[in-house]
Amino acid sequence: MLQQQLLNGLVTGSVYALFALGFTLIFGIHHILNLAHGAIFMWGAFVGIYCVTILNLPFPVVLVIAALAAGLLSVAVDWIAFRPLRKAGYSEFSAIVTSIGAGLILTNVAQRVSHTEVMRYPFGTFPIEIYHVLGLRISLLQITIIGSVCVILLALGFLLFATSFGQRIRAIAIDERTASLLGVNPDAVYFQTFFISGALAGVAGVLIGIAFNSVHFLMGEPYMLRAFVIIVLGGLGSVGGAVIAGLALGVVHTLTIAYLSAALSDAIIFSILFLVLLLRPTGLYGTLRLQTRVARV
Amino acid sequence: MTNFLLSHQALLNLCIINAVLALSQYLVLRAGVFSLATAGIAAIGAYTAGNLMLRQAVHPALAVLAAGLLGGIVSIVLAVPLARLRGVFQAIATLAFVQIVMSLALYSDSLTGGATGLNAIPKVVETWHLLAVLAAVVFVLSRLGKSPTGRAFDTIRQDETVAVSLGIDVVPHHRLAFILSGCIAGIGGGLMAGHNYSVATAEFGFHMMIAVLSFVIFGGLVSLAGPIVGALLLTILPEVARPLADNRMIIYGALLIVSIVYLPHGVVDTWLIKHQRRRQAALSAKSGPEAAVKASS
Repeated sequence: MLQQQLLNGLVTGSVYALFALGFTLIFGIHHILNLAHGAIFMWGAFVGIYCVTILNLPFPVVLVIAALAAGLLSVAVDWIAFRPLRKAGYSEFSAIVTSIGAGLILTNVAQRVSHTEVMRYPFGTFPIEIYHVLGLRISLLQITIIGSVCVILLALGFLLFATSFGQRIRAIAIDERTASLLGVNPDAVYFQTFFISGALAGVAGVLIGIAFNSVHFLMGEPYMLRAFVIIVLGGLGSVGGAVIAGLALGVVHTLTIAYLSAALSDAIIFSILFLVLLLRPTGLYGTLRLQTRVARV
Repeated sequence: MTNFLLSHQALLNLCIINAVLALSQYLVLRAGVFSLATAGIAAIGAYTAGNLMLRQAVHPALAVLAAGLLGGIVSIVLAVPLARLRGVFQAIATLAFVQIVMSLALYSDSLTGGATGLNAIPKVVETWHLLAVLAAVVFVLSRLGKSPTGRAFDTIRQDETVAVSLGIDVVPHHRLAFILSGCIAGIGGGLMAGHNYSVATAEFGFHMMIAVLSFVIFGGLVSLAGPIVGALLLTILPEVARPLADNRMIIYGALLIVSIVYLPHGVVDTWLIKHQRRRQAALSAKSGPEAAVKASS
């Protein structure tokens, strides 16, 4: 029973990781806390379900379309909410406020589009097949989720750490001004990272939507809040940390629901966040020491 | 005039309560603390006052006072970890605090009534009570704002390093702002309990956080009139234009983005700055640059 719950937790956690990765990417590279990320995730799920119910597309195509759409949406959020601030050189707090604004608009439009309904995938969208491995029940859907998350993570790792494109991104992350003097076009990097981050959220949205078979306009909010826990636990801006913390959070979440109480699970998760901020604000991989702590003695 | 006031009394009361909450958020932002805790502390205050009035039959004035006191005590505890963090991390930590409060409120049925909330609280708070509380808060904050402490707040907000080099001790000032803000938020929550007949979790949390933040950002976070004008305008606007009410969140979102980008000082402060410049220009045109220097100092 415990092993089964652990497995379920890892599956949920892998999607959490996918979601949090886009969030932490934007923070690590551009130092922007994008609070509209949850709304972009929700729109990914919306695009996914409309592709299935209206256009009747096969599942892999749906994933790609949702990723593209959410990626472009994320770029649009950057243009509307963050680019004007960059031009004027405002503080990080302004970016938090405008991203809250962008998130509100996206959520409200989704509410109007969906008429405040909870939408479900039609029966048989995804074949229900259950395998028994080592005494554990694992469904085809769970295998697909874990498989696609692994593929995406490997691709992202390759992109960030083994290509010249990744080099440009990391240069911008270290110092935007110096990098642009060395010939990196910051606008292009903003476009690319926001697109990647949105695409990750879009895929996560479709996977979560189909895994819990429920898509509604408020679905982004709880994931957004859990993503906070994940990125703080993993260290803000750390890609590896986000993956590990995402998996851990998925397991903790599933175990508290299974053994304690569903109502308490959020309180426990956020208490963990609070404790981590208090005891080790740099997270598991302490790379951002100067940024988290106050410089005063 | 009296007729108009009577027919819109409910709206007026709402404006005043919102103004009190906005002042709580204003105080922390003015001192350069990126706290979003107001919504959580207001919830604590509301449940405290609601319980005291409903179950212990405590006098409403005492109940509201107790709510403010408890808000202050919670802030004292919360100020300790918060002093170790900066910027975005303070925002995340306080956001986590709000989430912990909300999920505990949902969980502890016996104390808060869970999802149904506390109901049938006697409505004892009249408009003049609210006005008196608002006046008291404005009085305290204006005295504080004109004192050396207020000027220290402004310096810390604009540049913490400069503040430290001027011999301003940042942590005690942050703590003072945060604790006072907690008291005001608790009182605001207590007033809500005595005015709304009921206390429910849906009123607090993320939505209140966004609303209160919009009041301050839209109004302005330096002058005391800023948050009050912001609360007035943003509370009345959706009521005046009925078709807009369904899209209240879109309006808030768009206002957050537009006002940060184009009016970074908020409506009131931008107007004040313009007014001051005009006066200085008039002075210097009349009697040479010396008078202008004198007037500005």
